[in-house]
Amino acid sequence: MKRSIGMVFGVAAFCALSSSSFAADPPAPAPAPGAQASAAPAPATPVADAPMVPPAKPGVFTATKKGATGYHLVVAGHKFTSRDDIEKYLAWRAADLTMADKGTWFTFTQARTAADKVPAPKRDPAAPRHSFKMANFQPVWRYKTKGAADWKSWSPYTGAAFFADGIKAEDITDFEASADIVVRKGVMDDADPLGYEAGAVSDLLINQVSPPV
Amino acid sequence: MILQKRLMICASAMAVMAGTAMPAAAAPWVRGYVVGQYEYAFRYGGRPDYTRGAEIEPGVDCPHGSSIHFANGEQTKIAVARQKFRTQQEIDWISAPPGLDQVRAPVLTRFHIWNRAVAYRAYKRGIETYVNPWAADDPGQPQVTSRIGDGFNLDGKVKAADFVSPDGEKGIDNNLYRAWGCDAPWRGNGNATLDLRANDKMQEGLYTMVIRVSGNKDPMNDDDATFEIGYSPDKIVKDARGGIAVDYSYRILTTAQYTKMKAKIKNGVVETEQVERMHTPRIAWFYDQTGDTNFAKGKVRLNMSADGLSASGLLGGYRDWRELYTENTFAQDGGQQGIREHEDHVSLYFALRRNADGMYNAKTAKYDGISSVYRIKAASAYVVNPENPKMEVPKLLLDEERKQAFEAIKANTIRGAETRIPQPVPPGTTEAAVGSFEHDIVDLPNKEFYIKTLDRPHYANEDKDGIPPWMRRRRGTSAPVPATPPAAQPAKPQNQVSIEKPTEVASAETK
Repeated sequence: MKRSIGMVFGVAAFCALSSSSFAADPPAPAPAPGAQASAAPAPATPVADAPMVPPAKPGVFTATKKGATGYHLVVAGHKFTSRDDIEKYLAWRAADLTMADKGTWFTFTQARTAADKVPAPKRDPAAPRHSFKMANFQPVWRYKTKGAADWKSWSPYTGAAFFADGIKAEDITDFEASADIVVRKGVMDDADPLGYEAGAVSDLLINQVSPPV
Repeated sequence: MILQKRLMICASAMAVMAGTAMPAAAAPWVRGYVVGQYEYAFRYGGRPDYTRGAEIEPGVDCPHGSSIHFANGEQTKIAVARQKFRTQQEIDWISAPPGLDQVRAPVLTRFHIWNRAVAYRAYKRGIETYVNPWAADDPGQPQVTSRIGDGFNLDGKVKAADFVSPDGEKGIDNNLYRAWGCDAPWRGNGNATLDLRANDKMQEGLYTMVIRVSGNKDPMNDDDATFEIGYSPDKIVKDARGGIAVDYSYRILTTAQYTKMKAKIKNGVVETEQVERMHTPRIAWFYDQTGDTNFAKGKVRLNMSADGLSASGLLGGYRDWRELYTENTFAQDGGQQGIREHEDHVSLYFALRRNADGMYNAKTAKYDGISSVYRIKAASAYVVNPENPKMEVPKLLLDEERKQAFEAIKANTIRGAETRIPQPVPPGTTEAAVGSFEHDIVDLPNKEFYIKTLDRPHYANEDKDGIPPWMRRRRGTSAPVPATPPAAQPAKPQNQVSIEKPTEVASAETK
């Protein structure tokens, strides 16, 4: 009780001494015109030397609708350069197609069989999240070599070495890399190890790819 | 009249303190605060005394704990092995440089080798990664998996991925927490390293943020109050114990980093309206980072203690995620902060980008903003207007050169992300440990290997050792160049005013 009385007197003394304390401050002047509503960052403007992937010749890239939002994508050519080059071009086309379809991300469907030996990537929500994992974008291939009449196929899931590793590039007369994707909208599922944010993939690859011939 | 009102408020205060129930008086009132703690509203879910293998404080927020990028040689090896252009020797010698035991500063030497190497992780050599993160592989970032998060329902919707507030409110938008909440320097139980650093710098005078709440009813219940938040040119006054001293006076500038909003107060909880743009000082630990948060759809919730001595709360809205990226990356340089703090800004870039959820840009069909919520703790203060209402935020003359470099690297980073044309590192920065690397590697037996192999930006007027002019100036080996004098400096800064001295303001008002 004594303490309360003391505090009351303390407050009274404080009020008396600093009679400015509880008074309303004079109203603040209105903020400068830019203060309340400064413009958002300027949107991207067209750039003269913006990166551009050269157009592909007819037959190099095909996208076949598969289901409501899916596609079967094929990149074909005759002059084999490297696995990396061709697969990156296919991934860039997948991203480009996704954005053309107003999608924000796509999932890559691995073409696996019961005989495959390479383990499938597993979903782990507690693991680091990604906008893309290029290592998991693994198309399947078919190819023909000089003098051969039939196509041969190669799958990255069998565990076998890449078909071109033991062949001279000039001996490969025809090749196709193919991938199935599903175009998706909305927030990306970044715990999906086969999920790819289309814009991020496009940004990464646009300066790196060109269509095969 | 004013005196009469003042006495009425005093009488009310005395009645409350004496434990007597009295109806609240309707009178003009003002409460002021100076912010003493300012940090991202990240909800820590770990246990400070618990680690599991290499995991740092795993918890309900981050099941595998905080990020561990570059935490050791193995982690750095993982990061540099992603670049297909690197040889195996390069990868091995970067992650574990041979001959370190022969140098004077082995830890620092390794640090700068790592810094230089991780600054170049793009799809080909020569593209600096922190300016061009979009041109690098996504290393991955641990993200918050908990459903509980602090913040606001900024978009008025309740979406499946939204957080639920600790008191049960659904639809909480705080994707910055989801994206960065497991990032080591921002995660902790009051001990996150960059929280501590930023708060320490703020309390030591880097910048000051103040709040003024006013109304005409009861300070604890007023449905027509005014809320102001902004920058103060007055340094925070600390008490004898190092805490924030209460009831000192601070000017609030209304020219920049300032917002005035309508608010409602219920039982001491101030809830502001949501405004299109909310300007406040932003979190910073270097002068170059200081500036405006520029929240879109911003709002504040502040819980004022009944005694008026303290307040705590949240402020939030959507922030341009590229600005967040640059503010966190270029205070010093991306490699330096990343290695020291066990964070990878490339991972953080992609995490921001994919979690962006506001400020939709119809032209690009992308979100430019990410929902972001900051936590504040504040102490009672007298928040007053400056003598000159046009007073601008003061500039630090000696740091202006560095701030200009920060703005230049920020501009290049945003330009690169928008155009997808790799941008150079502008002069004036320490990106890729330029200067430090050359200085510390001199004793290393294989220094020529690193000098020849590792990329770095080059500039005009480097000396024979490759040290650019600004690094020579900072090291004191060449004459300083005075920065351009800032405009609109106050002729004579005012000092803080203690309440123990009745001021002229008081006598003037009683006239």
